[in-house]
Amino acid sequence: MGNLQYLGTEWAEEAKKRLDAELTPEKVKHLTSSMTNIYQNCPGGKDMYFYVEYTDGKLSRLETGDGEPPAGEFKIIADYDTFAKITRGELGAVRALTGRKITLRGNMAKALRLAPLVDRLNKVLATIPTDY
Amino acid sequence: MAKSNSRQDPYHVDTSKRLADIQAEMRNRGIDVYLGSRIRTMSFIVDAFVPWRSYIVIPAEGLPTIFTFVIDSARILSETWMDEDHVRGYFGAGGADQIEVIQYFIEEELDIKKGRIGYETGMATYTAEGWLTHYEYERFSDALPGFEFVNSHDIVDQASLIKDEGTINRFREAGRIVDEGHKAAREAIENGGWKGMTETEIGGIAALAMRRAGSVSEWNFAGLNEISSGWRTGLGACTPPTTKEFAAGEALMFDLHGMFKLALGDHSHNYLIAPATERKRWHADNFVACVQFVADHYRAGATPGGLITDLEEFAEDRGCSDYIIPGVEHGIGLFGDEWRVGASMDVPIPYWTDPDHVYQENEMVILAMQYAAQEDEVGFRYENPIVINKEDCELTSTYPLAIEEIE
Repeated sequence: MGNLQYLGTEWAEEAKKRLDAELTPEKVKHLTSSMTNIYQNCPGGKDMYFYVEYTDGKLSRLETGDGEPPAGEFKIIADYDTFAKITRGELGAVRALTGRKITLRGNMAKALRLAPLVDRLNKVLATIPTDY
Repeated sequence: MAKSNSRQDPYHVDTSKRLADIQAEMRNRGIDVYLGSRIRTMSFIVDAFVPWRSYIVIPAEGLPTIFTFVIDSARILSETWMDEDHVRGYFGAGGADQIEVIQYFIEEELDIKKGRIGYETGMATYTAEGWLTHYEYERFSDALPGFEFVNSHDIVDQASLIKDEGTINRFREAGRIVDEGHKAAREAIENGGWKGMTETEIGGIAALAMRRAGSVSEWNFAGLNEISSGWRTGLGACTPPTTKEFAAGEALMFDLHGMFKLALGDHSHNYLIAPATERKRWHADNFVACVQFVADHYRAGATPGGLITDLEEFAEDRGCSDYIIPGVEHGIGLFGDEWRVGASMDVPIPYWTDPDHVYQENEMVILAMQYAAQEDEVGFRYENPIVINKEDCELTSTYPLAIEEIE
């Protein structure tokens, strides 16, 4: 497989496949939640989004795009470069959060409990051959 | 804690009514959002122990939401009546710190972009009051430019002034618990048990007894259980225990603090270790008589100014007025509410007790008296949360008022 464009349609399809295959309901503790990542200052100047939704541990929706994003239970806002660094494993999510590289919206107590699950999700996404 | 708060429970408190009372007054004053930060405000609404810096956001309609240090949010959720959506955390991360998380919640989740925010500022003798700090005020003001900030803490003060039956029952239980502490302390010092014992040791003995009886905290920030002996009893009304050993001929003062469902037990009892001099016995008898005099005069319609005036005359007649530290009470409520009497902001000296405050039925106050005769190295303290009745008052601690001589 050649590299896929980060956040492109093919990248999103591949993300669905890999998340379905690797993150079983048990691995995500039968999670029901959703998250919208807002990518600011993307190449080309647009803002983009990555939306992922789990229902009872199953991936029920994943989409990327520009324009108005679906409203997730949590919203994470950062520069495209910051998200790219996190996905490539060059920047830890916690370091990014505490260094104000990322802005998190939602119930923080719940968000902290879900942080390990988001890490698992990011690790799967990091395996996709990607052009950033 | 509050999850067992059924209406059949003798300790049931109606948090819905509390919230409704606050919101009615908010609407009356044109307050769109109340931003509470005091411990007493958390106790009153959340009905759980909230020790970390927290904020409660109350819209004029709908449920309140508490924001606490995230490490404690799950524990609070397990104790309060509020659900997960209304028990939030903050921590040091982008979008998650105290200011941003509340700004976003008000503007985006409550969808209130402008209006009036009621907040809590003032002063107190009580360090841990929890007023919004100057820094917090500036940060919130910058983060919420569409809002006018209005000091509104008296809304909560007024709503919490008259205690409901469940709250009074909690205080009665806290009084019973504190009495268990006094029984244990009494047993520890009698028959020569006081020899070699220190103030800190008796504080611990009483604490253990109260914990066994159901207390969850010695709550007082001025030294937990306050203990003094000998010359230290004459120093005034704050005596964190020291390692001083008790000695023959000394006075002892045990001021014990317990907590039951956020209601604060606070009762002081005094002893003389034999052999007591006639002078010390005279002081002791004066003190007991003065406390009894005040206890006999509390009732609905009484005022702090009237009570202290009457006591001064009574003490003058006995020749002991020089030893009474002025004051016969301090305020009391749930955890964090420990100082001011009444709720009015229209008082002669701001944030001090209004001498003309008129007590009402089911108001609570701590009958507090401090007697200090430093030249005789003796002093006594009395504290007891009381419920104001129509014709009298109820002492929540029923440990007998007396100053015994311990052998």
